[in-house]
Amino acid sequence: MMAEGSRLYFAVTVLMCAFVSINGVGLNDLLERASQLSDKLHSLSTSLTNDLDSHFPPVGRVMMPRPSMCHTSSLQIPNDKDQALKVPEDELLSLARSLLLAWSDPLALLSSEASSLAHPERNTIDSKTKELQDNINSLGAGLEHVVHKMGSSSDNLSSLPFYSNSLGQDKTSRLVNFHFLLSCFRRDSHKIDSFLKVLRCRAAKKRPEMC
Amino acid sequence: MRNSWAVLSLTFIANLISQAAGVSPPGKPRLTSCRSPEKETFTCWWEPGDDGGLPTTYALYYRLEHSETVNECPDYRTAGENSCFFNKNDTSLWVNYNITVVATNALGKNISDPVEVDVVYIVQPKSPENVTAVVVHEDQGPFVKVLWEKPRTADTRSGWITLLYQLRVKQEKDKEWVEYDAGRQKYYNVFSLHPGKYMVQVRCKPDHGFWSEWTKTTYIKMPDYLPKERSLWIMITIFSVFIVLILIWMLNMKRNSVKLCLLPPVPGPKIKGFDKQLLKSGKSEEIFNSLVIQGFPPTTDYDDLLVEYLEVYDNEQQELVLDGKDLSEDCIKSKSPSDCDSGRGSCDSRTLLLEKCIEGREGSGSDQHQYSQHGETSWASTESSESQGPEPSSPESVDGRVKTWPIVCSSPEPQPYHHYQAGSAKPAYHSVPEILSHLSPHATASNYHQLHHQDIPPQEVLFSKPACSHSQSYNQFNLDGSDTPAHGVPPSRFLGYVEVQRVNPENMLLLRPLSDPNSELEGSDCTGEDYSKVKEVTSNNILFLQRETSHQCVDNYSPDLDSQADQCTSQQPPHPCKPAVHQSYSPMPEEGMRVMGNGYVDSTVLMPSY
Repeated sequence: MMAEGSRLYFAVTVLMCAFVSINGVGLNDLLERASQLSDKLHSLSTSLTNDLDSHFPPVGRVMMPRPSMCHTSSLQIPNDKDQALKVPEDELLSLARSLLLAWSDPLALLSSEASSLAHPERNTIDSKTKELQDNINSLGAGLEHVVHKMGSSSDNLSSLPFYSNSLGQDKTSRLVNFHFLLSCFRRDSHKIDSFLKVLRCRAAKKRPEMC
Repeated sequence: MRNSWAVLSLTFIANLISQAAGVSPPGKPRLTSCRSPEKETFTCWWEPGDDGGLPTTYALYYRLEHSETVNECPDYRTAGENSCFFNKNDTSLWVNYNITVVATNALGKNISDPVEVDVVYIVQPKSPENVTAVVVHEDQGPFVKVLWEKPRTADTRSGWITLLYQLRVKQEKDKEWVEYDAGRQKYYNVFSLHPGKYMVQVRCKPDHGFWSEWTKTTYIKMPDYLPKERSLWIMITIFSVFIVLILIWMLNMKRNSVKLCLLPPVPGPKIKGFDKQLLKSGKSEEIFNSLVIQGFPPTTDYDDLLVEYLEVYDNEQQELVLDGKDLSEDCIKSKSPSDCDSGRGSCDSRTLLLEKCIEGREGSGSDQHQYSQHGETSWASTESSESQGPEPSSPESVDGRVKTWPIVCSSPEPQPYHHYQAGSAKPAYHSVPEILSHLSPHATASNYHQLHHQDIPPQEVLFSKPACSHSQSYNQFNLDGSDTPAHGVPPSRFLGYVEVQRVNPENMLLLRPLSDPNSELEGSDCTGEDYSKVKEVTSNNILFLQRETSHQCVDNYSPDLDSQADQCTSQQPPHPCKPAVHQSYSPMPEEGMRVMGNGYVDSTVLMPSY
């Protein structure tokens, strides 16, 4: 008697969860949530950059690699609004996801190196870097749901490998490379955020007042 | 070698000459800012340096990060003086621009410091447009609804740019603005504004970028109104006042029970004989008079009595005194008009004391007949004599007979007749007349006294407690039979109180002596005065007396008998209460100190007798 009751209860719960996970949250809400996460991501990276700039040696600016040296620069993305608005949604989504995926390894490296940075603000930098990592993971999971919701295939992701496994040998070069990586990430997070917000407004035909 | 040397010297000389002329190459220009209003175009402004006195031209050059091509600014005019406007085609996002400005004049040029610009980081939109504010009247009160539109060029519809709005409100007299964040919506309701004129301004910001400028002020007038809450409070106040009034009225109706509940009455002392009404009326004299035992301790009458000796005839007829008579006198008491509670508790008590003043009449031996057992005749005669009136001095009207009542005393006159103080003088003995009324003339030869009642007005019959002196004297008489003021009553062993056992059908009182639990003797031979000590007081207000066995009856009169004892002591020294001194005193019967049922101890027995 008890076993049957509990089994029935369990079955109902499973069905409800499945239903919710598939149909529970609308695409609008999913994209809204994803946009919020990407917004937070970019804000964090901006504040990190500002923290680093507060005590950056002038010689480092000279040593800084050019932005085209970012490992994600090979990805073809729209450069202006007209181009961006012409890109179909799933492509936009895959672009965002590709970028996001490209940064999971570098961020891991950054977070491991943050604590030993030759910078007076390294504690703050360290905590923010960790937070950045968490955010990326959440956003990645959320975008997976969006993909399922939109029904697009998840196979056309660009691979943007990151080969370096250390920031440098001396503390200055480590600091400079840290800063460089962070700047690359800041830009890419802005791209992700912009794309997702375009997607958000494109999906929110029912609520035009928000877009 | 010689050529370079020549060129240098020539240049140096030319500079010197130009400086002397007041012209110089331009100063270094400076790029002040670059801004993009909609993330589609952008503009850069520079600040020219010193022009060096010569017309100077400025050129802006830029280079994209991933190319080496240097381009010049496509538009110097659109954005105004010293500016460069990059249109849509020339604007690329997520690309760094390396921009420099070059100032050129006849003498030379100067290059500004390069600036790296990424367009997405320099977004600053234009101000919102069409700001309107209206007053909306609602049930809770009026509020202000502010509406605006996005800046014209910003494309928020496609989501390319996301704008967040902010408004601020201020009354003209206020110093500081109050800011409200409106998020992505294009309206805002401002509540809790006071009546008056208000200024409203709106601005916006992209999700990552710079705030726009505030719009021009929009004015709105807030009307006067009475807040709804105040009328509600007025109603609540009236309602609660109403309820309070009702409660007060209800309390008033039940004020007695409320008073009983809050202030329970304190039981007052119950003192017998204490008239509360008198207390309230405030006449203390009367109150305390009621507490005073009139005539006790014996007053001057008593004194007179004490010095008065009774003439007792010593003849056999005296022996025929009614047996078992109680000799108790309290003629003195007869005089007192006080009520029966004045220490002579016997009158109301269950025990009925027969008191007979035995008075012998000198020389009238015939009187002794009255003491015979055919007492009824004498009774009758006395009764008839009694009937003449209650004055104490009227026995002459009787046939010269002496009253049979052994009461010695009430009258201080040394009359041969012993008046018995008619009970009229004693209103105290209420119960006595009642008993008398049941009497019938009947004589029995028994130890019991039989009272006969014939036409005796109740007041004239006197039953009273024996005054101590009288009983004493009686005792003495019994014992000594001589010089003591005899009562003309044959000595009887029984000295004490009697109690009415029953009333037989013939209306006769059957008496029996009251048995004192403490005494075995009656008319004990204790020569010493026999004051009894109060052993204990029971709950029924009964005093248990201790029997003293010593001859030397020491000074041990009961301390409980406060007033009486005090009065005792207040007596003249010849009337001491100290029994030890006067050996002549025959012992007081224990019964004398009888505890009456109503709580009074009859202390009359305590009084010394002569």
